[in-house]
Amino acid sequence: MEQLIEQLKAQIIDALNFEDMTPADIETDAPLFGEGLGLDSIDALELIMLMDREYGIKLADPKAGKAIFQSVRTMAEYIQQHRTK
Amino acid sequence: MKIAITGIGLVSAIGANCFETLQALLAERSGIASMRYLNSAHSDIPVGEVPYSNDQLKAMLGINEPMSRTSLLGLMAAREALQMAKWPNGQMANDFAFISGTTVGGMDLTEQHWTDYAQGKATENICLHEAGESTNLIVKHLEPFVPSPFAFIATPSTACSSALNAIMLGANLLRTGQAKQVLAGGAESLSKFHLNGFNTLMILDKQPCRPFDANRNGLNLGEGAGYLMLESEADALERGAKILGYIGGYANTCDAFHQTASSENGEGAYWAMSKALRMAKIQPDDIDYINAHGTATPNNDLSESAALKRLFGDLMPAVSSTKAFTGHTTSASGGLEAAICVLAMQHSFVPANLHWEQTAEGLVKPAVHTEHRPLRNILCNAFGFGGNESSLVISAEGVNLSENPVNSTLSTVTSVDMNEDTEINRYVSPAEARRMTPQTRRIVAAAKRAMEEADILKPDAVVCATQYGCMLQSMRFLQDMIDSGEQQLKPTPFIQSTHNTIASLIAILTGNHGYNATYSQGKHSLDCALKDIQTQLSLGLINNALVLEFDEQVDAWDNVLRLVGDQTQNIAKAYIVTK
Repeated sequence: MEQLIEQLKAQIIDALNFEDMTPADIETDAPLFGEGLGLDSIDALELIMLMDREYGIKLADPKAGKAIFQSVRTMAEYIQQHRTK
Repeated sequence: MKIAITGIGLVSAIGANCFETLQALLAERSGIASMRYLNSAHSDIPVGEVPYSNDQLKAMLGINEPMSRTSLLGLMAAREALQMAKWPNGQMANDFAFISGTTVGGMDLTEQHWTDYAQGKATENICLHEAGESTNLIVKHLEPFVPSPFAFIATPSTACSSALNAIMLGANLLRTGQAKQVLAGGAESLSKFHLNGFNTLMILDKQPCRPFDANRNGLNLGEGAGYLMLESEADALERGAKILGYIGGYANTCDAFHQTASSENGEGAYWAMSKALRMAKIQPDDIDYINAHGTATPNNDLSESAALKRLFGDLMPAVSSTKAFTGHTTSASGGLEAAICVLAMQHSFVPANLHWEQTAEGLVKPAVHTEHRPLRNILCNAFGFGGNESSLVISAEGVNLSENPVNSTLSTVTSVDMNEDTEINRYVSPAEARRMTPQTRRIVAAAKRAMEEADILKPDAVVCATQYGCMLQSMRFLQDMIDSGEQQLKPTPFIQSTHNTIASLIAILTGNHGYNATYSQGKHSLDCALKDIQTQLSLGLINNALVLEFDEQVDAWDNVLRLVGDQTQNIAKAYIVTK
């Protein structure tokens, strides 16, 4: 799990173009949207695409992302349960 | 001056002319179906396709040269409008202007031939890529109808509001005596590029779209063109033209909220509609029908409903979105739907809002079936990416709009050419910069510095001139689309690929709800932007403006352009201008 979390942080930084950040800058349990990283709806679409590309998870409904993307941890937990690659 | 509409022309999935369109509207027959000509990997996504191949369109139009589908559709509708207006019919046409909005331009050919281009083949289509060039080609084939040189040609490119913005500029040219007749609207073909783009935004319905329905699940893309022939009532009467209706009022504002989403309360839409009504000197209860933007995305319909409820309250006129007939024809939609409004006025009916079943909290309840009754005033909305919101009032009776000749030159208050990167961090924070290309950062910094130096932090208008638009993101999206076989594409490059990305980004970053426009007319893009500004300054619609000159040098595109002896360059200039 910890390895997946670290990998996911690096993938998020890359997908969302956080040029000056390192995985250590993202708190595993901090909210991704709103306060924490301050992500928006475009980022949510990018994260949905990230899960598709990297883990073979297809989300048909963008609204489903809300629960999954609460934090890096919730996202990693969802990926671990649903990944197809 | 009263501005008369003396001709309309339109083409879409429901008809290649006014007659066919009227028949389909009255029969409540939608044009949404499986794709036949687009040849996308996403064949399960329904579209509103004009039911003719490019070869069939060329045969119908008598064309035998390479031409983008955008130009073919535009030419078809433009010719119909001129014929209906009985123009030129012997008169000299030296004060004639053609203003045609588009964003796709020749992308349909570029995406088809890109691999050939990259290998140095099929060079004859490369020049057709530009938005402005697709307008020039329409002009070229209108010449038998309009023999003299055109007084003015412009291509507004503000995504889905482009055609309504073309009509507004056209009206302003008449009011300032810079044209006697104007043909204005827009044209847009389907492309794999924007079908895939909208798909990354997860807003394409795999069923026929259901505007304003509780269970709506996104839009269907469509294609087409629509134009209005505009001239002063006096000129129309003098030459014996039939007057179909009048331009009542119009306005463009910026929602200044988000690149692709509308604000919850529909702030920009509310102001665009309010200002259009004010110019038309009418009250909300004078409006008999609203042709809504109504794309059927969850976000648009809720936001537009909020704006409509705020403006019309309990006196909500009949509302419908004709996109359930035609699909969302993006940059053409304002022209196509304005022409549909003129048809509705001429034939006294409210077009149906197809496929609507139930309402939900916050949504307006649309006219589900055709309603036959006279329509005196119609409001037509077209909203685009970057929160570019435009509203037009079409009236059965004319209203006098103020006139003023263009009598002064522009004065430049500040001028910034951002060639050095050293100052960029002062104006663009890392959080703001993370989605911007290096050239986008330069233009944003240039804009902010020009506003700071002029001490005008919210200019009345933000107008951008760009030949190719946001080429780096466009090329990224195009290449990924081709390499991946249209699979697993990232949304950000598409969102940032529209020509109006720069002007809207600056409005969003500075909270500017004012007029927002972008012109893409080859080497004449800046002339178009300045003409628009000078016209609005003369009419007192604005007191100052931020002008942006933007282009982005991209190796992949430059390698192709070199085959035809052209090349791009990085431009990031900003000016504040006043009277």
